[in-house]
Amino acid sequence: MRRAAEILVALTESDLRARYGRGPWQLLKWLVDPFALVGIYLLLVTFILRRPGEDPGLSLACAVVPFQLVMMTVINAMGAVQLRGAIVRNMAFDRVLIPVSSAFTEAVAFAASLVLFAVMIAAYRVQPTASIVWLPLAIAVTLVFAVACAYVASLIGLWFRDLRPFVISFVRAMFFLAPGLVAIGDIGGSAESLVKLNPLTGLFEAYRSAFLEGHPARAWQFGYPLAWAAVFFAAALPLYVREEKQFAKVVE
Amino acid sequence: MSAAVVAEGLGVHFFFDRQHRVVTPALARLRRRSSDLWGIHGVDLAIGPGEGVALIGSNGVGKSTLLRAIAGVLPADAGRIEARGRVAALLSVDAGLMPTLTGRENCMLLGVLAGLSRRRAQRALGEIQEQTALGEEFDHPVSSYSQGMRARLGFAVADQVGPDILLLDEVHEAIDHDSRTPVEERAREIRRNGGIVVAAGHDHLLLRRLCDRAILLRDGAIEADGEFGRVSGSYTS
Repeated sequence: MRRAAEILVALTESDLRARYGRGPWQLLKWLVDPFALVGIYLLLVTFILRRPGEDPGLSLACAVVPFQLVMMTVINAMGAVQLRGAIVRNMAFDRVLIPVSSAFTEAVAFAASLVLFAVMIAAYRVQPTASIVWLPLAIAVTLVFAVACAYVASLIGLWFRDLRPFVISFVRAMFFLAPGLVAIGDIGGSAESLVKLNPLTGLFEAYRSAFLEGHPARAWQFGYPLAWAAVFFAAALPLYVREEKQFAKVVE
Repeated sequence: MSAAVVAEGLGVHFFFDRQHRVVTPALARLRRRSSDLWGIHGVDLAIGPGEGVALIGSNGVGKSTLLRAIAGVLPADAGRIEARGRVAALLSVDAGLMPTLTGRENCMLLGVLAGLSRRRAQRALGEIQEQTALGEEFDHPVSSYSQGMRARLGFAVADQVGPDILLLDEVHEAIDHDSRTPVEERAREIRRNGGIVVAAGHDHLLLRRLCDRAILLRDGAIEADGEFGRVSGSYTS
Protein backbone atom coordinates (compact mmCIF):
# COMPACT_ATOMS: atom_id res chain seq x y z
CA MET A 1 0.00 0.00 0.00
CA ARG A 2 2.81 2.38 0.94
CA ARG A 3 4.67 1.42 -2.23
CA ALA A 4 1.57 2.16 -4.34
CA ALA A 5 1.20 5.53 -2.61
CA GLU A 6 4.83 6.42 -3.37
CA ILE A 7 4.43 5.48 -7.03
CA LEU A 8 1.20 7.47 -7.23
CA VAL A 9 2.84 10.55 -5.72
CA ALA A 10 5.81 10.26 -8.11
CA LEU A 11 3.55 9.85 -11.16
CA THR A 12 1.31 12.74 -10.12
CA GLU A 13 4.20 15.06 -9.29
CA SER A 14 5.87 14.45 -12.65
CA ASP A 15 2.55 14.77 -14.48
CA LEU A 16 1.89 18.15 -12.85
CA ARG A 17 5.28 19.43 -14.01
CA ALA A 18 5.00 17.95 -17.49
CA ARG A 19 1.51 19.39 -18.05
CA TYR A 20 1.43 22.57 -16.05
CA GLY A 21 5.09 23.58 -15.79
CA ARG A 22 6.66 25.02 -12.68
CA GLY A 23 6.34 28.11 -10.50
CA PRO A 24 3.51 30.55 -9.73
CA TRP A 25 2.10 30.46 -13.27
CA GLN A 26 0.77 26.97 -12.46
CA LEU A 27 -1.90 28.50 -10.20
CA LEU A 28 -2.97 30.95 -12.88
CA LYS A 29 -3.34 28.12 -15.44
CA TRP A 30 -5.54 26.20 -13.00
CA LEU A 31 -7.76 29.21 -12.30
CA VAL A 32 -8.20 30.61 -15.82
CA ASP A 33 -10.46 27.85 -17.15
CA PRO A 34 -13.08 27.66 -14.36
CA PHE A 35 -13.23 31.45 -13.94
CA ALA A 36 -13.55 32.04 -17.69
CA LEU A 37 -16.22 29.35 -18.07
CA VAL A 38 -18.33 30.66 -15.20
CA GLY A 39 -17.97 34.19 -16.58
CA ILE A 40 -19.12 33.19 -20.07
CA TYR A 41 -22.00 31.00 -18.85
CA LEU A 42 -23.07 33.75 -16.44
CA LEU A 43 -23.38 36.17 -19.35
CA LEU A 44 -25.29 33.54 -21.32
CA VAL A 45 -27.72 32.64 -18.51
CA THR A 46 -28.30 36.14 -17.17
CA PHE A 47 -28.36 38.34 -20.25
CA ILE A 48 -29.06 36.10 -23.26
CA LEU A 49 -31.25 33.23 -21.98
CA ARG A 50 -32.61 35.32 -19.05
CA ARG A 51 -33.17 32.10 -17.05
CA PRO A 52 -34.49 32.41 -13.51
CA GLY A 53 -32.39 31.11 -10.67
CA GLU A 54 -30.88 31.90 -7.32
CA ASP A 55 -27.36 33.35 -7.23
CA PRO A 56 -26.59 32.24 -10.81
CA GLY A 57 -22.83 32.68 -10.54
CA LEU A 58 -22.57 30.37 -7.54
CA SER A 59 -25.01 27.91 -9.12
CA LEU A 60 -22.83 27.81 -12.25
CA ALA A 61 -19.69 27.35 -10.19
CA CYS A 62 -21.36 24.32 -8.54
CA ALA A 63 -21.50 22.72 -12.00
CA VAL A 64 -18.34 24.07 -13.63
CA VAL A 65 -15.85 23.19 -10.86
CA PRO A 66 -16.67 19.45 -10.60
CA PHE A 67 -17.15 19.25 -14.36
CA GLN A 68 -13.66 20.66 -14.94
CA LEU A 69 -12.20 17.84 -12.85
CA VAL A 70 -14.04 15.19 -14.88
CA MET A 71 -13.29 16.87 -18.22
CA MET A 72 -9.60 17.49 -17.55
CA THR A 73 -9.16 13.97 -16.14
CA VAL A 74 -10.59 12.47 -19.31
CA ILE A 75 -8.30 14.62 -21.50
CA ASN A 76 -5.29 13.82 -19.33
CA ALA A 77 -6.02 10.08 -19.14
CA MET A 78 -6.43 9.69 -22.89
CA GLY A 79 -2.79 10.71 -23.36
CA ALA A 80 -1.36 9.55 -20.04
CA VAL A 81 0.21 6.30 -21.21
CA GLN A 82 1.64 7.92 -24.36
CA LEU A 83 3.08 10.77 -22.28
CA ARG A 84 5.04 8.18 -20.31
CA GLY A 85 5.93 6.21 -23.43
CA ALA A 86 9.66 6.56 -22.82
CA ILE A 87 9.32 4.95 -19.38
CA VAL A 88 6.82 2.31 -20.48
CA ARG A 89 9.24 1.16 -23.21
CA ASN A 90 12.17 1.06 -20.83
CA MET A 91 11.10 -0.42 -17.50
CA ALA A 92 8.45 -2.54 -15.83
CA PHE A 93 6.43 -0.76 -13.15
CA ASP A 94 2.90 -0.69 -11.75
CA ARG A 95 1.14 0.85 -14.76
CA VAL A 96 -2.31 0.25 -13.24
CA LEU A 97 -1.80 3.48 -11.31
CA ILE A 98 -1.38 5.71 -14.37
CA PRO A 99 -5.11 6.60 -14.73
CA VAL A 100 -5.37 7.29 -10.99
CA SER A 101 -2.44 9.70 -11.30
CA SER A 102 -4.27 11.48 -14.16
CA ALA A 103 -7.22 12.12 -11.85
CA PHE A 104 -4.94 13.15 -8.98
CA THR A 105 -3.03 15.59 -11.20
CA GLU A 106 -6.25 17.29 -12.21
CA ALA A 107 -7.49 17.12 -8.62
CA VAL A 108 -4.69 19.53 -7.67
CA ALA A 109 -6.00 21.99 -10.28
CA PHE A 110 -9.51 21.24 -9.00
CA ALA A 111 -8.45 22.08 -5.44
CA ALA A 112 -7.11 25.42 -6.67
CA SER A 113 -10.36 26.14 -8.50
CA LEU A 114 -12.33 25.76 -5.23
CA VAL A 115 -11.29 29.41 -4.76
CA LEU A 116 -14.11 30.16 -7.19
CA PHE A 117 -16.69 29.09 -4.57
CA ALA A 118 -15.21 31.50 -2.04
CA VAL A 119 -15.32 34.32 -4.60
CA MET A 120 -18.95 33.58 -5.52
CA ILE A 121 -20.09 33.18 -1.90
CA ALA A 122 -18.56 36.58 -1.16
CA ALA A 123 -19.97 38.17 -4.34
CA TYR A 124 -23.56 37.01 -3.66
CA ARG A 125 -23.23 37.43 0.11
CA VAL A 126 -24.46 33.87 0.64
CA GLN A 127 -24.63 32.81 4.27
CA PRO A 128 -23.16 29.28 4.53
CA THR A 129 -25.53 26.80 6.21
CA ALA A 130 -24.97 23.49 7.99
CA SER A 131 -25.32 21.78 4.59
CA ILE A 132 -21.73 22.79 3.85
CA VAL A 133 -20.71 19.65 5.78
CA TRP A 134 -21.70 17.66 2.68
CA LEU A 135 -18.97 19.33 0.63
CA PRO A 136 -16.15 16.87 1.54
CA LEU A 137 -18.37 13.94 0.52
CA ALA A 138 -19.29 15.70 -2.74
CA ILE A 139 -15.58 16.23 -3.47
CA ALA A 140 -14.78 12.57 -2.65
CA VAL A 141 -17.56 11.31 -4.95
CA THR A 142 -16.35 13.63 -7.73
CA LEU A 143 -12.83 12.22 -7.39
CA VAL A 144 -14.03 8.59 -7.41
CA PHE A 145 -16.11 9.29 -10.51
CA ALA A 146 -13.14 11.02 -12.19
CA VAL A 147 -10.85 8.02 -11.46
CA ALA A 148 -13.45 5.65 -12.94
CA CYS A 149 -13.69 7.84 -16.06
CA ALA A 150 -9.87 7.88 -16.26
CA TYR A 151 -9.71 4.08 -16.77
CA VAL A 152 -12.26 4.25 -19.59
CA ALA A 153 -10.48 7.26 -21.16
CA SER A 154 -7.05 5.60 -20.95
CA LEU A 155 -8.30 2.60 -22.89
CA ILE A 156 -10.00 4.78 -25.50
CA GLY A 157 -6.81 6.87 -25.83
CA LEU A 158 -4.81 3.73 -26.56
CA TRP A 159 -7.30 1.80 -28.65
CA PHE A 160 -8.94 4.54 -30.66
CA ARG A 161 -6.47 7.41 -30.80
CA ASP A 162 -8.35 9.07 -33.67
CA LEU A 163 -11.50 9.28 -31.54
CA ARG A 164 -10.00 11.53 -28.86
CA PRO A 165 -11.63 14.76 -30.18
CA PHE A 166 -15.03 13.04 -30.28
CA VAL A 167 -14.67 11.81 -26.71
CA ILE A 168 -13.89 15.36 -25.56
CA SER A 169 -16.96 16.65 -27.44
CA PHE A 170 -19.07 13.87 -25.90
CA VAL A 171 -18.03 14.75 -22.33
CA ARG A 172 -18.64 18.43 -23.05
CA ALA A 173 -22.12 17.55 -24.39
CA MET A 174 -22.82 15.69 -21.14
CA PHE A 175 -22.43 19.02 -19.32
CA PHE A 176 -25.27 20.51 -21.33
CA LEU A 177 -27.35 17.33 -20.92
CA ALA A 178 -27.05 17.81 -17.16
CA PRO A 179 -28.31 20.80 -15.15
CA GLY A 180 -25.09 22.68 -15.78
CA LEU A 181 -26.43 26.10 -16.69
CA VAL A 182 -29.56 25.96 -14.51
CA ALA A 183 -30.36 23.98 -11.36
CA ILE A 184 -32.45 20.81 -11.72
CA GLY A 185 -35.34 22.49 -9.90
CA ASP A 186 -35.66 24.94 -12.80
CA ILE A 187 -36.01 22.17 -15.40
CA GLY A 188 -39.19 20.39 -14.29
CA GLY A 189 -41.40 17.95 -16.19
CA SER A 190 -40.34 14.55 -17.52
CA ALA A 191 -36.96 16.00 -18.57
CA GLU A 192 -36.03 16.21 -14.88
CA SER A 193 -36.14 12.42 -14.44
CA LEU A 194 -34.13 11.84 -17.61
CA VAL A 195 -31.50 14.41 -16.68
CA LYS A 196 -31.07 12.68 -13.30
CA LEU A 197 -29.68 9.61 -15.11
CA ASN A 198 -26.71 11.68 -16.23
CA PRO A 199 -24.02 11.03 -13.59
CA LEU A 200 -22.94 14.68 -13.72
CA THR A 201 -26.41 15.76 -12.52
CA GLY A 202 -25.91 14.22 -9.08
CA LEU A 203 -22.48 15.81 -8.75
CA PHE A 204 -23.68 19.29 -9.71
CA GLU A 205 -26.73 19.11 -7.44
CA ALA A 206 -24.66 17.83 -4.50
CA TYR A 207 -22.54 20.99 -4.66
CA ARG A 208 -25.69 23.13 -4.95
CA SER A 209 -27.11 21.38 -1.87
CA ALA A 210 -23.93 22.16 0.03
CA PHE A 211 -23.66 25.81 -0.99
CA LEU A 212 -27.04 27.10 -2.10
CA GLU A 213 -30.06 25.16 -1.00
CA GLY A 214 -29.50 24.88 2.72
CA HIS A 215 -30.78 21.29 2.94
CA PRO A 216 -28.86 18.03 3.24
CA ALA A 217 -27.70 16.41 0.00
CA ARG A 218 -30.09 13.72 -1.33
CA ALA A 219 -28.95 10.08 -1.55
CA TRP A 220 -29.40 9.99 -5.34
CA GLN A 221 -26.98 12.89 -5.74
CA PHE A 222 -24.17 10.61 -4.56
CA GLY A 223 -25.77 7.29 -5.52
CA TYR A 224 -26.07 7.87 -9.28
CA PRO A 225 -22.49 9.06 -9.86
CA LEU A 226 -21.17 6.23 -7.66
CA ALA A 227 -23.29 3.68 -9.51
CA TRP A 228 -21.89 4.93 -12.84
CA ALA A 229 -18.38 4.85 -11.38
CA ALA A 230 -18.95 1.23 -10.32
CA VAL A 231 -20.09 0.35 -13.85
CA PHE A 232 -17.02 2.06 -15.36
CA PHE A 233 -14.67 0.30 -12.93
CA ALA A 234 -16.33 -3.08 -13.55
CA ALA A 235 -16.08 -2.66 -17.31
CA ALA A 236 -12.73 -0.91 -17.72
CA LEU A 237 -10.47 -1.99 -14.85
CA PRO A 238 -10.18 -5.71 -15.76
CA LEU A 239 -9.59 -4.75 -19.40
CA TYR A 240 -6.99 -2.17 -18.41
CA VAL A 241 -5.18 -4.68 -16.18
CA ARG A 242 -5.04 -7.12 -19.10
CA GLU A 243 -4.01 -4.49 -21.63
CA GLU A 244 -1.31 -2.79 -19.55
CA LYS A 245 1.00 -5.76 -20.17
CA GLN A 246 0.87 -4.85 -23.87
CA PHE A 247 1.48 -1.10 -23.46
CA ALA A 248 5.15 -1.22 -24.47
CA LYS A 249 4.09 -2.59 -27.86
CA VAL A 250 1.68 0.20 -28.68
CA VAL A 251 3.20 3.38 -27.24
CA GLU A 252 5.11 5.41 -29.80
CA MET B 1 19.51 -14.94 -4.25
CA SER B 2 21.66 -15.56 -7.32
CA ALA B 3 20.73 -13.78 -10.53
CA ALA B 4 19.34 -15.84 -13.39
CA VAL B 5 17.43 -15.44 -16.62
CA VAL B 6 15.47 -18.42 -17.93
CA ALA B 7 13.31 -18.51 -21.05
CA GLU B 8 11.44 -21.54 -22.36
CA GLY B 9 9.70 -21.44 -25.72
CA LEU B 10 9.46 -17.66 -25.35
CA GLY B 11 7.45 -15.79 -27.99
CA VAL B 12 6.32 -12.18 -28.30
CA HIS B 13 3.49 -11.56 -30.75
CA PHE B 14 2.75 -8.24 -32.50
CA PHE B 15 -0.51 -7.32 -34.24
CA PHE B 16 -0.91 -4.48 -36.75
CA ASP B 17 -3.95 -2.59 -37.97
CA ARG B 18 -4.58 -1.59 -41.56
CA GLN B 19 -2.38 1.51 -41.19
CA HIS B 20 0.34 -0.86 -39.94
CA ARG B 21 0.21 0.60 -36.44
CA VAL B 22 0.83 -1.87 -33.62
CA VAL B 23 -2.36 -2.73 -31.73
CA THR B 24 -2.95 -4.89 -28.67
CA PRO B 25 -4.25 -8.46 -29.11
CA ALA B 26 -7.60 -7.47 -27.58
CA LEU B 27 -8.05 -4.66 -30.09
CA ALA B 28 -6.86 -6.89 -32.91
CA ARG B 29 -9.73 -9.26 -32.07
CA LEU B 30 -12.20 -6.36 -32.19
CA ARG B 31 -10.90 -4.86 -35.42
CA ARG B 32 -10.25 -6.49 -38.76
CA ARG B 33 -6.50 -6.66 -38.47
CA SER B 34 -4.25 -6.64 -41.48
CA SER B 35 -1.24 -8.57 -40.23
CA ASP B 36 0.67 -10.04 -37.33
CA LEU B 37 4.18 -11.29 -36.65
CA TRP B 38 6.18 -12.94 -33.92
CA GLY B 39 8.95 -10.56 -32.81
CA ILE B 40 10.67 -13.53 -31.22
CA HIS B 41 9.55 -17.16 -31.09
CA GLY B 42 10.67 -20.44 -29.60
CA VAL B 43 13.46 -18.82 -27.59
CA ASP B 44 15.07 -21.19 -25.07
CA LEU B 45 17.67 -19.50 -22.95
CA ALA B 46 19.44 -19.85 -19.62
CA ILE B 47 21.82 -17.22 -18.28
CA GLY B 48 23.51 -17.85 -14.97
CA PRO B 49 25.26 -15.73 -12.33
CA GLY B 50 28.32 -13.83 -13.50
CA GLU B 51 27.57 -14.17 -17.19
CA GLY B 52 27.80 -11.42 -19.79
CA VAL B 53 25.75 -12.16 -22.89
CA ALA B 54 25.72 -10.16 -26.11
CA LEU B 55 22.73 -10.27 -28.42
CA ILE B 56 23.86 -9.80 -31.98
CA GLY B 57 22.23 -9.86 -35.41
CA SER B 58 20.86 -7.55 -38.07
CA ASN B 59 18.28 -4.85 -37.38
CA GLY B 60 14.78 -6.21 -36.73
CA VAL B 61 15.77 -9.76 -35.77
CA GLY B 62 14.36 -9.45 -32.22
CA LYS B 63 17.30 -8.29 -30.07
CA SER B 64 15.37 -5.39 -28.50
CA THR B 65 12.23 -7.51 -28.15
CA LEU B 66 14.16 -10.19 -26.26
CA LEU B 67 15.76 -7.59 -23.97
CA ARG B 68 12.35 -6.03 -23.26
CA ALA B 69 10.88 -9.44 -22.48
CA ILE B 70 13.73 -10.08 -20.00
CA ALA B 71 13.07 -6.64 -18.44
CA GLY B 72 9.37 -7.50 -18.03
CA VAL B 73 8.42 -4.61 -20.29
CA LEU B 74 6.93 -6.97 -22.87
CA PRO B 75 4.85 -10.02 -21.88
CA ALA B 76 5.51 -13.60 -22.90
CA ASP B 77 2.73 -14.28 -25.42
CA ALA B 78 4.05 -17.84 -25.71
CA GLY B 79 6.24 -19.86 -23.36
CA ARG B 80 7.69 -18.22 -20.29
CA ILE B 81 10.44 -15.90 -19.15
CA GLU B 82 11.80 -15.46 -15.66
CA ALA B 83 14.38 -12.92 -14.51
CA ARG B 84 15.56 -13.50 -10.94
CA GLY B 85 17.14 -10.42 -9.36
CA ARG B 86 16.77 -6.64 -9.55
CA VAL B 87 16.69 -5.52 -13.15
CA ALA B 88 18.03 -2.23 -14.50
CA ALA B 89 17.56 -1.49 -18.16
CA LEU B 90 18.55 1.01 -20.81
CA LEU B 91 16.38 -0.09 -23.67
CA SER B 92 15.85 2.93 -25.86
CA VAL B 93 17.75 5.97 -27.06
CA ASP B 94 15.61 8.21 -24.84
CA ALA B 95 16.87 6.05 -21.94
CA GLY B 96 13.42 6.05 -20.32
CA LEU B 97 13.59 9.78 -19.63
CA MET B 98 10.60 12.11 -20.06
CA PRO B 99 11.79 15.01 -22.22
CA THR B 100 9.63 17.67 -20.52
CA LEU B 101 11.06 16.91 -17.08
CA THR B 102 14.47 18.03 -15.84
CA GLY B 103 17.24 15.56 -15.13
CA ARG B 104 16.55 15.89 -11.40
CA GLU B 105 12.79 15.29 -11.81
CA ASN B 106 13.43 12.28 -14.04
CA CYS B 107 15.78 10.81 -11.44
CA MET B 108 13.14 11.10 -8.72
CA LEU B 109 10.40 9.60 -10.88
CA LEU B 110 12.45 6.74 -12.32
CA GLY B 111 14.08 5.98 -8.97
CA VAL B 112 10.68 5.53 -7.30
CA LEU B 113 9.26 3.54 -10.24
CA ALA B 114 12.33 1.30 -10.13
CA GLY B 115 11.63 0.41 -6.51
CA LEU B 116 13.40 3.01 -4.37
CA SER B 117 11.61 4.88 -1.61
CA ARG B 118 11.15 8.62 -2.21
CA ARG B 119 13.63 9.35 0.55
CA ARG B 120 16.28 7.11 -0.98
CA ALA B 121 15.68 8.48 -4.47
CA GLN B 122 16.03 12.00 -3.04
CA ARG B 123 19.29 11.09 -1.31
CA ALA B 124 20.75 9.71 -4.54
CA LEU B 125 20.24 12.94 -6.50
CA GLY B 126 23.52 14.61 -5.52
CA GLU B 127 25.51 11.50 -6.33
CA ILE B 128 23.86 11.17 -9.75
CA GLN B 129 24.47 14.84 -10.57
CA GLU B 130 28.14 14.33 -9.76
CA GLN B 131 28.43 10.98 -11.50
CA THR B 132 26.87 12.26 -14.73
CA ALA B 133 28.86 15.54 -14.65
CA LEU B 134 25.75 17.34 -15.86
CA GLY B 135 26.31 20.36 -13.63
CA GLU B 136 23.57 22.97 -14.03
CA GLU B 137 22.08 21.01 -16.91
CA PHE B 138 20.76 18.62 -14.26
CA ASP B 139 17.99 21.16 -13.60
CA HIS B 140 17.22 21.76 -17.28
CA PRO B 141 14.62 19.81 -19.26
CA VAL B 142 15.97 16.60 -20.73
CA SER B 143 14.71 17.71 -24.16
CA SER B 144 17.75 20.04 -24.26
CA TYR B 145 20.21 17.16 -23.65
CA SER B 146 22.36 15.46 -26.28
CA GLN B 147 21.84 11.73 -26.85
CA GLY B 148 25.05 11.02 -24.95
CA MET B 149 23.93 13.10 -21.95
CA ARG B 150 20.62 11.24 -21.88
CA ALA B 151 22.35 7.89 -22.05
CA ARG B 152 24.71 8.91 -19.21
CA LEU B 153 21.82 10.08 -17.05
CA GLY B 154 19.70 7.04 -17.95
CA PHE B 155 22.53 4.73 -16.94
CA ALA B 156 23.12 6.54 -13.65
CA VAL B 157 19.40 6.39 -12.82
CA ALA B 158 19.17 2.70 -13.72
CA ASP B 159 22.23 1.99 -11.60
CA GLN B 160 20.61 3.57 -8.50
CA VAL B 161 18.70 0.39 -7.70
CA GLY B 162 21.88 -1.71 -7.38
CA PRO B 163 20.95 -4.10 -10.18
CA ASP B 164 21.66 -7.82 -10.31
CA ILE B 165 20.73 -7.87 -13.99
CA LEU B 166 21.82 -5.05 -16.31
CA LEU B 167 20.22 -4.83 -19.75
CA LEU B 168 21.72 -2.52 -22.37
CA ASP B 169 20.27 -2.00 -25.82
CA GLU B 170 22.61 -0.06 -28.10
CA VAL B 171 22.18 2.91 -25.76
CA HIS B 172 25.67 2.44 -24.35
CA GLU B 173 26.93 2.87 -27.91
CA ALA B 174 25.57 6.44 -27.82
CA ILE B 175 27.77 7.32 -24.85
CA ASP B 176 31.02 9.11 -25.68
CA HIS B 177 34.24 7.18 -25.22
CA ASP B 178 35.19 8.88 -21.93
CA SER B 179 31.87 7.94 -20.36
CA ARG B 180 31.93 4.37 -21.62
CA THR B 181 34.66 3.38 -19.19
CA PRO B 182 32.50 3.80 -16.05
CA VAL B 183 29.67 1.88 -17.73
CA GLU B 184 32.03 -0.95 -18.64
CA GLU B 185 33.56 -0.97 -15.17
CA ARG B 186 30.14 -1.07 -13.56
CA ALA B 187 29.05 -3.91 -15.87
CA ARG B 188 32.16 -5.90 -14.92
CA GLU B 189 31.51 -5.20 -11.22
CA ILE B 190 27.93 -6.47 -11.53
CA ARG B 191 29.22 -9.69 -13.11
CA ARG B 192 31.96 -10.09 -10.48
CA ASN B 193 29.27 -9.85 -7.80
CA GLY B 194 27.30 -12.68 -9.39
CA GLY B 195 25.05 -10.50 -11.52
CA ILE B 196 24.22 -10.70 -15.21
CA VAL B 197 24.83 -8.30 -18.09
CA VAL B 198 22.89 -8.68 -21.34
CA ALA B 199 23.79 -6.17 -24.05
CA ALA B 200 22.57 -5.81 -27.63
CA GLY B 201 24.24 -3.77 -30.32
CA HIS B 202 26.34 -3.63 -33.42
CA ASP B 203 29.66 -2.47 -31.94
CA HIS B 204 31.22 -5.90 -31.47
CA LEU B 205 34.45 -4.53 -29.99
CA LEU B 206 32.47 -2.84 -27.23
CA LEU B 207 30.20 -5.87 -26.74
CA ARG B 208 33.22 -8.13 -26.45
CA ARG B 209 34.55 -6.04 -23.56
CA LEU B 210 31.22 -6.51 -21.72
CA CYS B 211 30.39 -10.10 -22.62
CA ASP B 212 32.12 -13.42 -23.19
CA ARG B 213 29.07 -15.19 -24.58
CA ALA B 214 27.02 -14.20 -27.62
CA ILE B 215 23.63 -15.15 -28.97
CA LEU B 216 23.00 -14.65 -32.67
CA LEU B 217 19.37 -13.96 -33.55
CA ARG B 218 17.82 -14.35 -36.98
CA ASP B 219 14.14 -13.83 -37.81
CA GLY B 220 13.18 -13.78 -34.14
CA ALA B 221 14.85 -17.09 -33.25
CA ILE B 222 18.22 -18.09 -31.82
CA GLU B 223 20.57 -19.20 -34.59
CA ALA B 224 23.75 -19.59 -32.57
CA ASP B 225 24.68 -19.42 -28.89
CA GLY B 226 28.19 -19.76 -27.51
CA GLU B 227 31.59 -18.21 -26.98
CA PHE B 228 31.61 -14.59 -28.18
CA GLY B 229 34.41 -14.86 -30.75
CA ARG B 230 32.93 -17.94 -32.39
CA VAL B 231 29.35 -16.64 -32.63
CA SER B 232 30.42 -13.14 -33.65
CA GLY B 233 32.71 -14.65 -36.28
CA SER B 234 29.92 -16.78 -37.72
CA TYR B 235 27.74 -13.65 -38.03
CA THR B 236 30.33 -11.37 -39.62
CA SER B 237 31.87 -13.96 -41.94
